[in-house]
Amino acid sequence: MTQPVRPPADDGALVRIRGLTTVLNGKTIFDALDLDIPRGKVTAIMGPSGTGKTTLLKHITGQMRADAGSIHVNGENVAELSREQLYKLREGIGYLFQNSALLTDFDVFENVAFPLRQHTKLPEVLIRNLVLMKLQAVGLRGAARLSPNELSGGMARRVALARAIVFDPMLILYDEPFVGLDPVALNQVLKLIRTLNQSLGITSVLVAHELAAVQRIADHVLLIANGKVVAEGDPKTIADDGSPWTRQFFGGEADGPVPFQYPADDYARALGLAGAGR
Amino acid sequence: MNVRLPSRENVVTRSLAQIGNSGLFLLTLLAAVPRSMRHVRETIRQLWFVGAMSLTIIMTCGLFVGMVLMLQLYHVLSIFGGTSASGMVVALSVYRELGPVVTALLFAGRAGTAVTAEIGLMRATDQISAMEMMAVDPIAYVATPRFLAGLIAMPLLCCVFCAMAVFGGHLVGVTWLGIDNGTFWSNMTAVVDVRTDIVNGVLLKSLAFGAVVSLIAVFQGFTTPPTSEGVAYATTRTVVASSIAILALDFVLTAFLM
Amino acid sequence: MSQPRNSYAVGTGLFIVLGFAALAYLATQTSSVANVRQGDSYTLQTQFTNIGQLKERAPVKIAGVRVGQVQSITLKPGHDVADVTLSIDRQYDHIPQDSVATIFTSGLLGDQYVGIEYGSAKQVVADGGSLARTRSTQPLEQMLSKFFGAGGVVDNVGGSYTVKANFTNVGTLSVGAPVKMAGVVIGSVQSVRADPVQLNASVVLSIDKRYNAIPDDSAAAVFTSGLIGSQYVAIQPGGSPDALKDGDEMVLTQSAMQLEDLIGKFLVNGSGDKKPAGEK
Repeated sequence: MTQPVRPPADDGALVRIRGLTTVLNGKTIFDALDLDIPRGKVTAIMGPSGTGKTTLLKHITGQMRADAGSIHVNGENVAELSREQLYKLREGIGYLFQNSALLTDFDVFENVAFPLRQHTKLPEVLIRNLVLMKLQAVGLRGAARLSPNELSGGMARRVALARAIVFDPMLILYDEPFVGLDPVALNQVLKLIRTLNQSLGITSVLVAHELAAVQRIADHVLLIANGKVVAEGDPKTIADDGSPWTRQFFGGEADGPVPFQYPADDYARALGLAGAGR
Repeated sequence: MNVRLPSRENVVTRSLAQIGNSGLFLLTLLAAVPRSMRHVRETIRQLWFVGAMSLTIIMTCGLFVGMVLMLQLYHVLSIFGGTSASGMVVALSVYRELGPVVTALLFAGRAGTAVTAEIGLMRATDQISAMEMMAVDPIAYVATPRFLAGLIAMPLLCCVFCAMAVFGGHLVGVTWLGIDNGTFWSNMTAVVDVRTDIVNGVLLKSLAFGAVVSLIAVFQGFTTPPTSEGVAYATTRTVVASSIAILALDFVLTAFLM
Repeated sequence: MSQPRNSYAVGTGLFIVLGFAALAYLATQTSSVANVRQGDSYTLQTQFTNIGQLKERAPVKIAGVRVGQVQSITLKPGHDVADVTLSIDRQYDHIPQDSVATIFTSGLLGDQYVGIEYGSAKQVVADGGSLARTRSTQPLEQMLSKFFGAGGVVDNVGGSYTVKANFTNVGTLSVGAPVKMAGVVIGSVQSVRADPVQLNASVVLSIDKRYNAIPDDSAAAVFTSGLIGSQYVAIQPGGSPDALKDGDEMVLTQSAMQLEDLIGKFLVNGSGDKKPAGEK
């Protein structure tokens, strides 16, 4: 479970995290975490539930502040940015939420147009064309007038993706993009992620559990547990890493470094069998 | 989710903490006003939802309050022949007390809870986070427009309420109970003072109440745990806290202004 | 291509307009700023020495029937009568020139209205004309003082001096009753107390400082104004060269006439008494 040593400066990494430590509610989420997100590639971050994968994404976007350590996105230290600079940074990052997070007051078209209307003074014709282009890219141009509650889960996720790419960002963060999708929708989302990465060169970071899907599109996999990176590598070979973590996570074992039993006191004593040890 | 409190806290300290936090939140809201000037359209939209959509309940209740007040007053004043003063009493009591207070309570129940629930749900479905991600300040886009809309809507609603109440009082008093029309108006106009009753009573009080109710509604929406249970509690707390604040503030304002 | 915001703007604008209209209605129609003009009416000018509780828009009635309303009540600076403008319906245009406008009260606590009682002149009063004959209201205090004998006398705080007088019987003399000399009020009764030592009534009179030349051998008598009116103290001047000063006692007093004594005089031919105070 040793962490590989990383070179201090690496222009191939869009996101560079060094020594990240965060404690929330008394629980150590990250413990001197080091990781790199390579530029222009699809990176998958996996790990047991509750290890703070979504929290990691929030650190990258500056929504949460770390207690120690540094996060550099495209060379800029996120913690030192002013509010305006932070908002500028976020314009270059697309974020896909697990539940799509479409604004319920607006229809599909207005949802995708929202960032454009907020941050640019583009003429209406240009906004319209941009929105329709993005919707076409995700295959939902015909659904432009539907309201969010008329969309299926997969469609909503694609609309959210269209919204996330409206500024052609350099980085897209996908928070559990495959959850709750039927195989058809799953394939559609996979295709989109792959296309965005290959044709636009957008660095993609996926937080996901579905190993099969990850293996199909990820160039790089990171396994995070107990606040540290416990395994990383190519998705096809990481399952044969040999460490107990990968054995449990990718090998399908129920018990291992992530225990089956939630920490509890002595079993015999709990059952009232006095004197008996374990 | 465990709702039991640790034994150190109790209702008093919790309430004080809430009051303090909402005071700080008010500063955040006000600081965001210049930024929310970009979202004037959103403020107008909220003014529609919060103000214009409340008109039905405000006008109906205003009418009934005026009618009931006139009925009660007539009954009491006729004992010693003073029914000619009933128009004046209806106007004064509505402008100074009933108008602002009842309008504020109705507003809290109708618009305040709607705002709290809406914001709470937006938080629960990550819409607020999405806005932050899209570099839109959620306070400037969501909170301040709703706060300003409530601030603007309340005095207008109160004026409508008072007008409907006077109309209702006239309807019952003059048309039904037979008070002389000229007496009704002459006594009222002789006593109702524009500065003390209308400006201080109707406008200033309703403005203060509007600020308080909007602040509480937006604050509860933004600080509730983003679960369905949390949102339900938050809407209840909005109504309860607003009601207490309105009546306490009413006492303070009456002591100072009148 | 939708612009959903515009429909909200229109509706919101309407809402704001409605709110301001309601405010304008409240401020102008129901407050003291209100100034209503009736259609088809003409105006009459009247003057009253005391308008009492009369208000603008109060009704004007002839024979109890409403014919118009009070348009305005003003007081010109330097004048001590109020100018009241009445607005009368045009159909009632035969009001004689010598009619009387009186301020009546409807009921005991009701409000006041202007009643016009027709005179007998041939000429009618025209638009803008005036009624010369008016009757003002009776202030409540004046009415009540006629019954109870109090009030009616101005308090002369700081500008008076006090003298004592003892009476064997003060009748219904009460605090505040006037003190008169030659029928003119010069002061008032400050206090009436029973003296436990001398077993008579000790009365303190407060006399205006202007009347500081009253001889100290003047007599104080309790008289009744009219047959059954209220009682007052009358000062009958004596001839002494020294004047009454603050704190002096008037030696010569005449007590009140008792009804029983009066009846007794007629029936049993009893004698009246004029004794100096202190002697029984």
